[in-house]
Amino acid sequence: MPSPTTHRIALLFNANKIYDREIITGIGAYLSSTRVAWDLFLEEDFRCRLSGIEQWAGDGIIADFDDPAVREVLSHSRLPVVAIGSSYENERDYPVGVPYIATDNFKLIRLAYDHLIEAGLTRFALYSLPESPQNHWAQEREKAFSKLLESDGLVGDGVEPSIYRGSATSAQGWNTAVEALTEWVRALPKPVGIIAVTDARARQLLQACLMAGIPVPEEVALIGIDNDPLARTLTRIPLSSVAQGTEEMGRTAAHLLHQMLHGARLSATRILVPPVGINVLASSKHEPLNSPYVMRARHYIRQYACQGIKTEQVADYVGVSRSSLESYFRRELGCTVHQEILRFKLDIAKTMLEQDNASSADIAVRCGFTSLQYMYAVFKRELGCTPKEYLDRQLARKLVASAGSLS
Amino acid sequence: MLTMTAFPITSAPWGDATLYTLRNAQGMRVTISDLGATMVNWFAPDRSGRMADVLLGWNEQAQYRDNSCYFGSVVGRWANRIRDGRFTLDGVDYQVDQNQGQTHLHGGHTGFHHRRWHAKTEGDTLHLSLVSPEGDAGFPGTLHTEVSYRLDDEGTLLLDYCAVSDAATPVNLTSHAYFNLNGGEAGIGDHLIQIDADEYLKIDSVSIPVEQVDVAGSAFDFRQPAPIGTRLDWPDGQLALASGFDHCYCLNGEANRLRPVATVYDPTSGRELTVATSERGLQFYTGNFLDGVAGRRDYRSHDGFCLEAQAYPDQVNGADAERAILRPGEMYRQQTSYRLGVRR
Repeated sequence: MPSPTTHRIALLFNANKIYDREIITGIGAYLSSTRVAWDLFLEEDFRCRLSGIEQWAGDGIIADFDDPAVREVLSHSRLPVVAIGSSYENERDYPVGVPYIATDNFKLIRLAYDHLIEAGLTRFALYSLPESPQNHWAQEREKAFSKLLESDGLVGDGVEPSIYRGSATSAQGWNTAVEALTEWVRALPKPVGIIAVTDARARQLLQACLMAGIPVPEEVALIGIDNDPLARTLTRIPLSSVAQGTEEMGRTAAHLLHQMLHGARLSATRILVPPVGINVLASSKHEPLNSPYVMRARHYIRQYACQGIKTEQVADYVGVSRSSLESYFRRELGCTVHQEILRFKLDIAKTMLEQDNASSADIAVRCGFTSLQYMYAVFKRELGCTPKEYLDRQLARKLVASAGSLS
Repeated sequence: MLTMTAFPITSAPWGDATLYTLRNAQGMRVTISDLGATMVNWFAPDRSGRMADVLLGWNEQAQYRDNSCYFGSVVGRWANRIRDGRFTLDGVDYQVDQNQGQTHLHGGHTGFHHRRWHAKTEGDTLHLSLVSPEGDAGFPGTLHTEVSYRLDDEGTLLLDYCAVSDAATPVNLTSHAYFNLNGGEAGIGDHLIQIDADEYLKIDSVSIPVEQVDVAGSAFDFRQPAPIGTRLDWPDGQLALASGFDHCYCLNGEANRLRPVATVYDPTSGRELTVATSERGLQFYTGNFLDGVAGRRDYRSHDGFCLEAQAYPDQVNGADAERAILRPGEMYRQQTSYRLGVRR
């Protein structure tokens, strides 16, 4: 069988961010599913360089049009181009004459916003980015946020939506930036649900809250966008996040370019890709509590449960006696401080078992159990099974009731 | 044997028919009518425990008498299409109802969805049976059909079908439930669907399959989950023919064995539907002609989707015709389940 023609395709992305990398993963997934042979051109450091792209002897380009330089250079390309980028509220902001695949900013923000409403929040704020030609998407997310608040009657009549852009990250200005950010969060009426336009932004905000002693999620419930595992591992409180449809964007782009290489004319095609999920973790699991002591105690437990803390340390942090803290806990949560610490450890151990493939011994250490035997005992007592049995049970649950063969 | 049932089925009059309610420990409620063996409502919790009806349909029984959308019903004796309503069986040519242009669709003018089924409850199981007489819609043989519905505490609604006939006849039964996992707050465009099938059946201009092809590289490839709305926007001649998806997938895995075949997830509500079946085909339909249908709400195109487990469309005229024929002494069997859960 003759091998299909190999096309030379350039991918113009700054693939140092998870968003771009996942789009490229989607392109790769499309190629491997179809046996389409493309010779992919991508800088080895995954940075996008444009010099000489006009003279490049290739067959097609998939490019990130959020970068104005890319957009400019490719606006007169003689090669087939598929563009990827932000969705826009205003029709005029879209590039013309090129098939365009967009992440749907309105739906990203709406998913985060709906989640915060579900969690019981009634006040909202957005942590954005300083305006720049490279991040029009952040401004689009601001517009979406304002529009949602407006349609729910939460702004208007002189009330403006709380949107904070802050400053760009730089080592020199870092302290001042954090101070200004902290000041902004402090001034917001609580409890408040905050959407950050990226997980990177959400992580900064979370850190600022922790340093300022603002309990997350009791006072500030926080959710980001990107579902970035890196941002998640760098925070002490697991970060909730909305996942963009990046892989589908990549598959769609590859499909359109594939069609164009076979003569299809798709310059008027525009496809908006919705978010594909929401990862709800501790940072947005807001439960209204009455006692500020219990709130502070849980805030502390959530951060340090896995480091082997005891009731005394929690009481010290909160600044009340052990016995009064116990009585607050009984009244509000119906359990002891120790039980609450155990519950957190157990929850984390359960998550690790299901997600990480780690050994039980390793999990026991990472969750702050004094020994593997003790973790077994807690599993037995609280869940009626060993960690292994728990994992098997969860897996069995996922395999839909396959009731066997029919007679 | 006496079985203990925590949630026995209750019934209530519904126009001149009856509405049966199945419940489970999660507080789910599925209502099913003996008219058309129809699933009318399915109230299921979302991520935060709020209940909503995930099925499309009407509220009034009278509106189901002319159920031109086949909302929620069991369709038969032949679900899906037969070209020109014609087939040959054991050397005899048959002409059955042509109710969609020249084509036979979903059992013709007297399809099972119009009929009053005989109902019997047994603990948590609802048995519905129907006798389709010799010559019904033009089909040979008297066919005795039974469908049972059972809802378990995991949220699985199991449909168990069986049928016997006194003469050889084509049989193809399916459930034509339309789902919208966000409870109708928006369309189904943002639902992510995954279908375990490497191939699907390409159709012609009257929606009859003409070729079995690989899904790879096309809008039809749902081996990895993808948003329905994005795929509806992919430029594709097959989608243009049907104004969306109305195509049969050739399911992977061994038929005649209940196995998971498709999953649909709605990120907004967190609801997730898992479909398992013993059938070899799965018709994926995206409610392409719902515009202007005044159901419980005013529906628009792509407000609901169907996953209809079945034989291949027009299989009676294909190479595998014999597999779609039920002969005296044999029993038609099908198991299909719909499980509703939430992803947190």
